[in-house]
Amino acid sequence: MLAEKALDLVRELHRSLGGTLSPYNEDKIRQVLEEMQTLYDQNKDGAQFAAEGQTDLISAIQVRHAGIQRNKRCLLAYLYTRLEQIRKMRWEFGSVLPPDVKYNMCEQEVQWFNQYNRLLANYMRSVGESGGLDLTQDMKPPKTLYVLVRCIADHGEFETQDGNTVLFKKNSQHYLLRSECEHLIRQGVLEHIIQ
Amino acid sequence: MAALLVSSGMTNNYFSLDDILASQETIPCTFNVKVATMGYLDQSTSDVDINMGTKLDLPFWLAKYLHKGSRGIVSVDTPKTYKEGYRHIFTADPNVVDLYRLGPYFYLFGEKLLSLQLPDTDDIANVLLKTFQGRFRNIMDGSQNALHSDLASQMEKLDVQERQLFAAGQQGLHEFQKWESRESEKLSTSAMVSNHRKRKRIGYIANAT
Amino acid sequence: MLIKDFRRDFYDVLQHQRVLVLVAFDVDALCACKILQYLFQCDQVLYTIVPVDGLQELEHAFLENAEGIRHVILINCGAAVDIVEMLQPEDHVRFYICDSHRPVDVHNFYNAVQVKLLMREDELSSMPAYDDLFRDDGEDESEESDSENDDPETGYKRKRFDDESIIRRQDRRRWNESRVKTLFDYSKFTSYGTSAALMMFELAWKLSKDTNSLLWLAIVGVTDQFVHYRTPRDKYMEDIMSLQSHVSRHNQRGADDENIMSVNCLRVSFEEELYLPLYRHWKLFDSICHSMPIACKLRLWSLKGQKRLHEFLAEMGLPLTQCKQQYSAMDTAMRSEVKVKILEYMNKYGLEIQDVIIPSFTMQYGYKHLLCATDFVYAAAAALESVDRLRLPTDNFLAATEILQRCVSRKIEAGLESAKLQLRGVVNQVQSFLDMHQIISAGPFLYVCVQEGTADSRFFSHPQCLLRLARYTLQAHCSVSRNKRVRSLPLVLGAPLSIEEGRSIMVGIPPLDTDDERKNFFGKAFEQAAESTNTVVRFNSFDSHIIEMKTEDRSKFFDALISILQ
Repeated sequence: MLAEKALDLVRELHRSLGGTLSPYNEDKIRQVLEEMQTLYDQNKDGAQFAAEGQTDLISAIQVRHAGIQRNKRCLLAYLYTRLEQIRKMRWEFGSVLPPDVKYNMCEQEVQWFNQYNRLLANYMRSVGESGGLDLTQDMKPPKTLYVLVRCIADHGEFETQDGNTVLFKKNSQHYLLRSECEHLIRQGVLEHIIQ
Repeated sequence: MAALLVSSGMTNNYFSLDDILASQETIPCTFNVKVATMGYLDQSTSDVDINMGTKLDLPFWLAKYLHKGSRGIVSVDTPKTYKEGYRHIFTADPNVVDLYRLGPYFYLFGEKLLSLQLPDTDDIANVLLKTFQGRFRNIMDGSQNALHSDLASQMEKLDVQERQLFAAGQQGLHEFQKWESRESEKLSTSAMVSNHRKRKRIGYIANAT
Repeated sequence: MLIKDFRRDFYDVLQHQRVLVLVAFDVDALCACKILQYLFQCDQVLYTIVPVDGLQELEHAFLENAEGIRHVILINCGAAVDIVEMLQPEDHVRFYICDSHRPVDVHNFYNAVQVKLLMREDELSSMPAYDDLFRDDGEDESEESDSENDDPETGYKRKRFDDESIIRRQDRRRWNESRVKTLFDYSKFTSYGTSAALMMFELAWKLSKDTNSLLWLAIVGVTDQFVHYRTPRDKYMEDIMSLQSHVSRHNQRGADDENIMSVNCLRVSFEEELYLPLYRHWKLFDSICHSMPIACKLRLWSLKGQKRLHEFLAEMGLPLTQCKQQYSAMDTAMRSEVKVKILEYMNKYGLEIQDVIIPSFTMQYGYKHLLCATDFVYAAAAALESVDRLRLPTDNFLAATEILQRCVSRKIEAGLESAKLQLRGVVNQVQSFLDMHQIISAGPFLYVCVQEGTADSRFFSHPQCLLRLARYTLQAHCSVSRNKRVRSLPLVLGAPLSIEEGRSIMVGIPPLDTDDERKNFFGKAFEQAAESTNTVVRFNSFDSHIIEMKTEDRSKFFDALISILQ
């Protein structure tokens, strides 16, 4: 059947959605492109013959054309969905992706990620008067200025903005400025406790 | 939420993976003309061409393209699960039918069929709506009340879109629960980070053993 | 120094400061800490909470976290030791001690600058007068230099042996002797004052920041003191009465439409509760078997006792099939009659009202299970003293914190289950003490040791559970012993702490006939016994009647203890 391989790509991506990025399947993409090329070449020949009067080839050209269109759609959807996923990762993991995630990206995707990163950074810097606004902070509307946190692991000393040091020892509890500990919570060093 | 919309397919999105998968469902077609050199599409014969009058199940995307407008290369028939026999079953008691088995994209595919101008288009449209109406109450009840119970058995018979609906209901329920216990204000380790960590840990254990 | 106005001298001082809170491992302290946390969060006082399990850890936690800290709050720890001497803080550090341990160390009381006591004044009335303890420093020094300095020049100037000096030295010696005696008399007995949680709640009330949840915490704190035999019944009743007025104030449900509270709000109500441990979450039969007063009066560990219990139940008209299923699944008609029936028939079985009834409070949250204050105490105490070896003590502390956070009902249920295991462990151990006749009269006191390697010994390496075992053992022993004198004998109970290290934990509890005072003299006695035998005894616990020592030193230590108490 036509466009079978392209469908495989879509299926593969569809299965792996939900948290991770599957490896960029360069091999399969090449195969799809080859199929498209073959179909195109056949149509080009067919069109010539059809023009010479072999009219029963016209319907075959249309079948192949539909196949090319289908292949194109599958490929684009594959690439687009991956980009969406990568963009989401920028917000969840921060500006540096874990190496194994990066390993699954193709060269162009890495480039795209870097450019997106730069774009976002520039934008965040330009917002507001003084030094910009970190959009990745306060992902949920803050209810309080301060939060109670509990240390999940020993993390040594931490200097607060007011110059004090706080010792993050496992199982100690602290009441601190929300803005200071939000990134540590996201990294999984501290746990936010709701009273 | 954005992720849900992209994958929901309800928007008939060109990039939607669900939409692509749904349009792969097949339709019985009859060729009205001879299609030269394309015989390899019909695996039951070894002919070089597809002859006029050949009956073949084609994926929706191909069938629609060949059927459309003036081309008329194929004429299409209603797929079995949308025919009258099944339609009777759906109207009798929509809740007992395993829609996932009948085609994981029952509604989405059904909706696409409507664009083919089949003779029973109106009946199909009707039965899609009625089936969904009949099943909706159960889906909603299930998703709003199953907190920790076995979800797999409840979701087994649902088609893909119903599953998404069920999952959305579940998410709403969980978020309400969190809100009630004031958990929704809680800052947490981001989902991708903790998933990623979990997977890594499993990887380590697998490597170690 | 005792603080008179908590608000002005304690709470207001802490505004805009960073505070270190050190919390002891008991339920009352936990409750107090949670109340304080709430207050601090209202006013955005930044704090760090570190749980401390013993004096050594208190010292350690202070050293680790002291940097930049000017205010340290100690909850249920530190009052009984000279805190400034022990921690050697910098001059600007202030300690606020909210501790129910009595007596308070005299240095803490008379340190006007660095130590502030958050306690009730009337509970410190036995404090010796300043002049009996301290003399003017100037005089001291001259006196010292007089006696120690052998410099001939000064000797030349002042005749060391003139009459005046002799009189002065005699006077000083006499004063010293009387000082030692005063101090000894003062610290002879250890006891407990008002619950820390209640003190904190009263502070919240004064600040008009009291809520129903805080009130519930105070109730749990007060109940903890009673359940763990810290305060006598009279004191408990007194506290309950004062709490009751708060309860009715907070749980007023207006009849008019405007004041109707949502059912999902926390509701607290006063109740003459059945004093049966965890009965709402257990089987009535099991609960009765694990209730100390009933089990001891009916002697449930014997066959005869079991018969009597069956008889008792039969007479009350409670079928065994009902009693032996989950209480929540019992016939509702029967369930509502349990209390009435027990009260009706108890006299025949020698039970008195205080054996089966405890005035207490219950709480309900929406339509979920009704929970009693003692349920919370048992659940939280069991979580604090979890026997899971993989868990750090601080993990247990946090688990107990979560239990007190009432919305997480899953945690409460898990806590109740481990509390049942604890209770079972205690009852089984008492039974084996009695069966094997292991309780020995050493003359001035009774003693018994949990054998190493017994199945339940893991429960008893924790102080609170050990204390409950001791108390149960004593009561059970008194109920079987023919000797009338046993009621006036205290009990010392030893249990293995760590078999690998050969260490034991030991607790002493006062005799039953002084139960209306609950004063314990073992702190001093243990101290003296340790001194006289030169055994290495670790006085790490905030309760001086709980000590740790090498198991091999135990008999030597007992001998010394006998001679001291004789």
